[in-house]
Amino acid sequence: MTFDIGNMSRRNMLKSASVAALLASSAGSLVAPRRASAQDAKTVRVLSVEDPFFFSMKAMIPEFEKETGIKVELESLSYDALQTRLVSAFVAKTSDADVIAVDQMWLGQYLDNGWIISLNDYIAKDSDIDLADFIPEVLYSSNMWRGQIATLPVAAYAQGVMYRKDIFESFGIAAPPTKAAEDWTWTKYIETLKALEGKSFDGKPLFPTVICGSQPSPITHMFTQLSASHGASWFKSFPGAPWDFSPQLTGPAWAKSVDVYRQLYKLSPPEAINYVWFDAGTRFAKGDIGMFYWWTPYFYLVKNSGYMTGKKSDVINKYATAALPKAEGVSQTVSLGGWSLGVPSSSDRQDNGYAFIKWATSKATQKKMAEWPDLNFQFSDFARKSLYEDADVKKIYPYLDVQYDMMKQGNGKITRPPVPGYTAVESVLGLTLNQLLTGNEDPKTALERTNSLFESILKGNLMIPYQKESYADTLDGAKALIGKLGKA
Amino acid sequence: MHATTLRSPQALAPVRRGFVRRNLPYFLIAPSVIMLLALIAYPLLFALKSSFYFWNLQVGPQPLAFVELDNYVQALNAFDFRAALTNTLILSILGTAIEFSLGLAIALVLLKALPGMNVVRALLILPTTIAPIVVGFLFRYLYDPGGGLVTWLLQSLWLPVPAEGILGSPATALAAILFVDIWQWTPFFAIVLYASLLSVPDEIIEAARLDRASAWTILTRIKLPLIRRTAIIIVMLRFMQIFNTFDTVLVLTRGGPGTSTRTLGYSLYEQGLVNFNVGLVSAQTWIAVLIVNIIVALYVFFAFRNEEW
Repeated sequence: MTFDIGNMSRRNMLKSASVAALLASSAGSLVAPRRASAQDAKTVRVLSVEDPFFFSMKAMIPEFEKETGIKVELESLSYDALQTRLVSAFVAKTSDADVIAVDQMWLGQYLDNGWIISLNDYIAKDSDIDLADFIPEVLYSSNMWRGQIATLPVAAYAQGVMYRKDIFESFGIAAPPTKAAEDWTWTKYIETLKALEGKSFDGKPLFPTVICGSQPSPITHMFTQLSASHGASWFKSFPGAPWDFSPQLTGPAWAKSVDVYRQLYKLSPPEAINYVWFDAGTRFAKGDIGMFYWWTPYFYLVKNSGYMTGKKSDVINKYATAALPKAEGVSQTVSLGGWSLGVPSSSDRQDNGYAFIKWATSKATQKKMAEWPDLNFQFSDFARKSLYEDADVKKIYPYLDVQYDMMKQGNGKITRPPVPGYTAVESVLGLTLNQLLTGNEDPKTALERTNSLFESILKGNLMIPYQKESYADTLDGAKALIGKLGKA
Repeated sequence: MHATTLRSPQALAPVRRGFVRRNLPYFLIAPSVIMLLALIAYPLLFALKSSFYFWNLQVGPQPLAFVELDNYVQALNAFDFRAALTNTLILSILGTAIEFSLGLAIALVLLKALPGMNVVRALLILPTTIAPIVVGFLFRYLYDPGGGLVTWLLQSLWLPVPAEGILGSPATALAAILFVDIWQWTPFFAIVLYASLLSVPDEIIEAARLDRASAWTILTRIKLPLIRRTAIIIVMLRFMQIFNTFDTVLVLTRGGPGTSTRTLGYSLYEQGLVNFNVGLVSAQTWIAVLIVNIIVALYVFFAFRNEEW
């Protein structure tokens, strides 16, 4: 088809332009997110992050639609884009979705602002959700806030160690233990790494380990596992009551953790200073890293040559997993994180939303997600105890015992406290840590400066002195709530 | 008794026509003014108001307190914001100057009737059409210390490459981001300047050549003065554009290492869309708006002081 623009009169040109503009705006309304409405009662709109769980969950959705007759409109976004979109929708009070993926760190903010609903009543009335099957440490860390279960976990992450069996054997280095042990300490971990320093394997120079250096969140996620292991606290009193958010970064545990993290960076590829989560995670898959620790999804992600490529990596049958080291004389605390599903208070299809959440987090669906073979089997982020004991699943993911042990030592409320205003202090901590890796500044001085910035930010955000009601948030209290709601 | 004279519809018509005709320019310009107020003036005024309040969406959905100038003080005292301001000015000034110089050189080459120039002109526009976020990902691979093309080229030329990579060293990271901008936007200068140079009348150039003027004299005394207005305007536009650099920083370095590549655009993103501190980000926005407007106003004043409009 051709258009003879040369013969078109100005009037016709203007008319055409107007129609084009109208069509463009109509097209815009077609692609814009649809608002939930009572007219689509048999629909549920799900807004998710595009983490690994998303792909296997998406593959199972036809089954949910068949089982319930509810049509699913699934949309995925990146981490930053999801948070931005959700907060914009909440502030504007628009009903953007009926189910949303909620990062553990957003829980306090979302519940305190009334942006998502409590699921307590739904769970209490539901006889077959089997609440007791969830790992209590996961529900406590990722789903509970002020005595409310606001979300349910669709993908739970702990942290653990991955190492190259063949390299360790070749150099006669003892394999790290698969269960927590008193003598498996960070000191021993660094000694083990140093045994690999300057070595080559298969004709390639080796890096003993790899760290995540990019600010602010990636480096904080990896570093806080170290600091939690060393007994570092962010605040004077949290999650125990009364809440006092006076920062505690000047304590010796923080300085010691920075020292260990700097040692780890010296044993890593230098460009790791800019590594985000998956850069660090998939670097191991390239085959020149001896051992590292990271979020448990990398227990399976390293089977691929890159992040979710589906192409087998060089290390697919050559690596094993191990327990996280601990600090001498300090009880281990493992960082827990991950994704959960919640229902926005603005949704007018909350029943459908709960039905989807119940389905997606159920044992049956999670098992099917684990058995989905695409991308070399890419889902073992279970929050349910029974799946860690399931023989079919263990056959695909042989490291589940290690992962479960880490989960049971987890406490996400200590490692990265999910308090309102968290990201502001995380920005400052991430920047400091990033600077400390490349610079020569004394960690103590940098941490004192960061502590004072924390204090200023928290005072500015009305968190010091804390002006709202405190809540004694303990694991025992969480277990009691699980028992109460499970039996109701 | 007062006599009331009623005008017939026929009598009203000329009056209405006259009113419309008299005010036609205002009616025609009104939609633009309304759009301008809605899309620029209102958000700026809203940000101005918000900048005097404590309003953090992580802590509460509504503004919680009137804090006078606290947000401005906090913004100006934050070392990372000051670093961002410095980096942004370096990027904007150097970027604009280098892109203009290179763009002018390329435009002058394009004027030559050399073989293959049509293809060159077509290829030249390509970098400008790629989204900055895509360019960021592209250069992430090009800068890769383990075999990226740029790294390999530098090493092949015996030039030092930091062990932590071009993007990993505070000494080279900002230059690497500047290079990305230059790669993407120099063609924009080249094409606009080429188009302007085409409008320079051949007779003037011929006359100058007959007078034995050198190429440099023709360029500086004839060509550049004749394309001066266009050049001034595109320099101003590019300066303002680089001042908002964000996408490439997010993809390549997230402002690091340390604060070495942090820009105002990245700081605004972090405060606004990660920390949701509406009050603070509004103050930062106003500081950025004031700085860029002062610079542009001074630039326009000096650039156009001898011009008649």
